[in-house]
Amino acid sequence: MEPYIIATLVKESLVMSILYSVTALGFNLVYRVNKSINLAHPGIALLAGYAAFIASAHGLGFFLVAVIVSATGFALGLLMERGIARPLLGRSPVALIAATLGALYVLRGVAIEASGDYWSGGSLDVMNTVYSVGGVVITGSDIAALLVAAAALGLVIGIHRFTRLGVAMRAVAENPYGAAGYGLPVRRLTALSWGFAGLLGALGGLAFGIKAGITPSMDGYVLKALTASLLAGLDTVEGIIVGGLVLSFIEQFGDYALHNYLPGFGGVAAFIVMLLVLLVKPYGFFGTERIERL
Amino acid sequence: MPAGVFKESYLEDMAILRYPLHKASLVAGLVLVALLPLLLGSYGIDQAVALMIFFLGALGLNIVTGLAGQISLAQGALMGVGAYTAAHLALHGVNVLAAIPLAGVVAAATGFVLGLPSFRLKGYYLAMASIAAQAILEYVFKTWVDPNQGIAIPRGEKMVAGIYFGKGLPLYYTVLAVSVLAVLAATNIGRSGLGRAMKAVRDNDVSASVVGINVARVKALAFALGSFYAGVAGALYVLANPSIEWGAFTLDTSIEYLAMVLVGGPGRIIWGSLLGALTIHTGWSLLASALAANAAAKYIVLGGLIAFFVVLEPDGLIGVLRRVKEYFRLWPFRY
Repeated sequence: MEPYIIATLVKESLVMSILYSVTALGFNLVYRVNKSINLAHPGIALLAGYAAFIASAHGLGFFLVAVIVSATGFALGLLMERGIARPLLGRSPVALIAATLGALYVLRGVAIEASGDYWSGGSLDVMNTVYSVGGVVITGSDIAALLVAAAALGLVIGIHRFTRLGVAMRAVAENPYGAAGYGLPVRRLTALSWGFAGLLGALGGLAFGIKAGITPSMDGYVLKALTASLLAGLDTVEGIIVGGLVLSFIEQFGDYALHNYLPGFGGVAAFIVMLLVLLVKPYGFFGTERIERL
Repeated sequence: MPAGVFKESYLEDMAILRYPLHKASLVAGLVLVALLPLLLGSYGIDQAVALMIFFLGALGLNIVTGLAGQISLAQGALMGVGAYTAAHLALHGVNVLAAIPLAGVVAAATGFVLGLPSFRLKGYYLAMASIAAQAILEYVFKTWVDPNQGIAIPRGEKMVAGIYFGKGLPLYYTVLAVSVLAVLAATNIGRSGLGRAMKAVRDNDVSASVVGINVARVKALAFALGSFYAGVAGALYVLANPSIEWGAFTLDTSIEYLAMVLVGGPGRIIWGSLLGALTIHTGWSLLASALAANAAAKYIVLGGLIAFFVVLEPDGLIGVLRRVKEYFRLWPFRY
């Protein structure tokens, strides 16, 4: 293996790891408040990606596009909390999975319907510059995707870590009854978590769109990000970065090492890792182990 | 003279047909399904065959999800396992009708392996494991089993004793016979000790193990049985279609199966699955041909139905029908 190939793979892994982390954090925020998986998350990313694609095709500036996408994602998150998660409080976690699967289908249908002729997709051109550092090609879309994802990740992790709002959201995730006892508005904070999750899904969709182009199957990336979330542990916030890193390094290097024997291994590596993690260490690196008593 | 029906032995109480109404409707139903192809045209027969195939798949998923409470999003891929097994067996000269149970067995073995994570996991973890299994199986189909996007099964392979089983009446009656057998088996699974054990595991697996149920064995059996049904459905799909390709066994297929179970009625394995398959499969194809609806409308309607039933009507259409029945039982009085 020549050094520039290794360097290229490392660069690619680092960019993808942040993208995976951003989308995966959306799964985690929902898990923290509702103790279940939001399978509509890929749908939000898909819808947001196409919203960005159509908006930039109409000549809107990139900053404006990012604002529109974030607002869409945030609103979708709030909507799903109100429409699906809140009525399902107290039901089994499987009910939320099934209901959000329905929401995934609705979002995909809306994306197809709303995008019309744009459904075949294309590339989101943000920066057309290409840099070459010692044989490693870094494109403008790498940088733009990285910036969008890192900004979103930094914003949400920062809020969780350093603000009073973040403390309140952590309290609600930890123990909703206790938090309510201290006068925290549990319902509003839960809704806010869903809103942030939607925002992360939307910006993740935008970042994947910049990196890999807008395609009808781009929601597959978000489903793969579920592996990052699982690797890190479903209820961690900061640990998600480790999950993203591990997943993307396995994907990139595994695909490079095995592509002669297993063509297209990169596409399925995430799911193999997911199955292995579930079998060996289902609570991930940083997750809390759940103990069940009668 | 006693008013109503009284049971004087345990056998009578456990009979499937307990009331005169049951016997009458069984006879009427059998006559109806036997004579149905005479009423339907060739398009109608194709629709009925497709309905029965998806009913079988949904029945299998209802055993896993409705009875044993293990959510699975890999039913589409398991149907694919059955279909590819049957197709390859038929291409290698095995009698296409004999391939149906063999396909079921191979799918059951695959489903058993896929069910292994359920020994340690439950709920959403299991759902994720099944999504991963679905994706891995799709990859296997795409890369090795069906790399050319489609396997055609020539007409000659579906000839048994001079009769062509791939179309029309022979196909209809074959699928009907398999469905009746499958329904009979599923009814007996549901009311036997195994079925009760599955329900106990579904309601609370920790208490089930406390009362002496071997939880791992019950879960494994549930997965194997559900996958057997999926495999049989896949083999019949091969029989009914001139060629198969992996696009028919994707995550979308699995989601549609889950939708059939959730909309029809989880836990009511026969009628729930039938109602679900009727609504999701046949209802949709009739609606689509009537309204010239596109893929977007399908996703919105199907997704909306899933979300609506899970949130507001967790017992599915069966639950709605039961409420209607209760209402009319005392009609015109309110209580």
